[in-house]
Amino acid sequence: MADFNVSARGVGSVNVLELKGYLDAHTAPELEKAFNKLIDDKSFNVVVNFKDLNYISSAGLGVFMAYVETMRENKGDIKFSNMKENVFNIFDLLGFPVLYEFYKDETEALEKFKVQ
Amino acid sequence: MQLTDNIAALRNLSALVDFANLINSSLDLSFTLNNILFTCFGKFQTTKGVILLAGSGGVLELKAAKGFSNQALEEFPSVKIDEYDSDNALAEFKSKNRLNFCRDFNSSNGLKGYILLGERLSKKEYTPEDYDFLNTILNIGATAIDNSLIVTELKELNRELDAKVNQLSSLFDLSKEFSGILKVEMIGKLLLYSIIGQLMVSKYAVITCRQGAFTLLENKFPPDKLNPVLSGTDLLAITSVLKKEEINKDLESFAELGVDLIVPMQIKGNTKGLIMLGQRLAGQAYSKSDIEYIASVGSLAIISIENALLFQETLEKQKLEKDLETARNIQKNLLPKSVPKLNSFEIAAFNNSARQVGGDYYDLVPLSKEELLFAIGDVSGKGVPAALLMANVQAFLKSICKQKMPLNLASNFINDLVSENTTNGSFITFFWGVLNDATRELTYVNAGHNPPLLIRNNEIKKLRTGGMILGVMATVIPYNSETLQLEKGDLLICFTDGITEAMDPDFKEFSDEKLEEMALNMNGGNPSDILNKIMEEVKIFTKGAEQSDDITLIVIKVN
Repeated sequence: MADFNVSARGVGSVNVLELKGYLDAHTAPELEKAFNKLIDDKSFNVVVNFKDLNYISSAGLGVFMAYVETMRENKGDIKFSNMKENVFNIFDLLGFPVLYEFYKDETEALEKFKVQ
Repeated sequence: MQLTDNIAALRNLSALVDFANLINSSLDLSFTLNNILFTCFGKFQTTKGVILLAGSGGVLELKAAKGFSNQALEEFPSVKIDEYDSDNALAEFKSKNRLNFCRDFNSSNGLKGYILLGERLSKKEYTPEDYDFLNTILNIGATAIDNSLIVTELKELNRELDAKVNQLSSLFDLSKEFSGILKVEMIGKLLLYSIIGQLMVSKYAVITCRQGAFTLLENKFPPDKLNPVLSGTDLLAITSVLKKEEINKDLESFAELGVDLIVPMQIKGNTKGLIMLGQRLAGQAYSKSDIEYIASVGSLAIISIENALLFQETLEKQKLEKDLETARNIQKNLLPKSVPKLNSFEIAAFNNSARQVGGDYYDLVPLSKEELLFAIGDVSGKGVPAALLMANVQAFLKSICKQKMPLNLASNFINDLVSENTTNGSFITFFWGVLNDATRELTYVNAGHNPPLLIRNNEIKKLRTGGMILGVMATVIPYNSETLQLEKGDLLICFTDGITEAMDPDFKEFSDEKLEEMALNMNGGNPSDILNKIMEEVKIFTKGAEQSDDITLIVIKVN
């Protein structure tokens, strides 16, 4: 079974979710749990760091779709950073760049929240 | 003069060579088109130009434009390539922007499109040489455009292919995942994530329809508005995919909620659920391939959902059956565990419920050293409700026995108690009697029960004295009792209608007559033998048809 791990850490007013391994239908609930926790804690500014994520499936993408509105309704956002090319290609293929911000690295994404 | 001409020809030639080198070095369409325009601008000293290429459905698309404001470009009309000459809107666009110098350009497979150029800065007319030059450029450019168009098309196809591969891998991923999940909520979630992730949707609902009711597994439409809409619609009648146009036309209330697509989830052609999606966030329409994907994921999911529901139902049923099994044991314990030994009487009894628990009742309660009370009853109905009332009667009987009341008065009393506890017209046919071991006397009261048969000297006496069935109303007319002096050899058979109304596969009843005939032909034998014989006969008669009613039988022989 493919492994997946999500860990959260706070950087100022932003929460960074670090994803690791394979995000697919099987592991999507893990990510969902992490987002639910953020919402419970009223942390709506989120940077997802994809540094160690090797694969993502549609179900994985779906989790971001399911939570982005809640974040934005609460004046927050989900921003993406450090994506490997194969992972980005899937986001790109399905048209995500229209709706989400992608950054080369985490600091850049964190900066964006500061500016806002 | 000739020198000037030569210089001009040389300039043209070098521009052409430059142009040819440049545009054949790239496969990027906009690069090619921009260069055609720039080359023309440079050569003709003009500042405006557009290139139109035939796109899907033969509609001309503005593929490159220079020297226009965005607003001016927005005014470009939708024109089909074969209406180029006749379209008024296009003519107006051309004249408004002074695009007077126009040329079609062709590739090996026919007309490709047009180039339109504006007036020259010098305001001079375009000369025949200019036409020649433009033709040459377009001839060179056509191949490059063709090539870049093919590349663009290939890129597009490649992307579509990638998208399809991605969809397939999602489907594969899900089919693996679904088969292992037995929680409906979880399946609904994964189904949804796979759809909204693939298609970028944020308004959605997943609905399952079962036994005339619907359940919202997932929903992001306003629930207070969605629920009445769903209740007011025959959801099962949605058997094909409904796109925005059809929803707008036929399901206005759904359209008002912002539903853009409804995909039914079906098993063997029957709708078992619906996937409803709102607008895609990037604004695109749902393509055929998208809908196919949603339908495929949907069918995978609904089968898993159905399996999960069946699994849950089976679990619940198993639990219920376990409970009923417990109830059956409790009920068995309410019946006498052994038959008291008497000097003058020999007794055998049998009880079997058609279902796990039943409404038949019998009891044998010693009242004193000499006296034994026996009772038989049949609660109307079957199953759990009957069993509860039966347990109730058993409790009353046990308490009343302690009161040492005459049987007729005890009957008044038990009827009052039962009447208080019955609702919905349930009742009990009931017979009880007291045997005196010393005097061989029988005192009995029959409250509407099938009359027990007393057989003496080959004759049957039916024990009918008593009164109304128990539980219909409080006692108004007191019950009567009868006392009989029994003799050695007398046989008493008490039964419930489960015996006489036992049916064969053709729904023919065993009948009172048959039981009476049997009773008369019982020559000797102890009560257990007689009881077994009757049961055996009933079994033969029903030929294995399912027992439809509870059966109780008490046989008493006088020694």
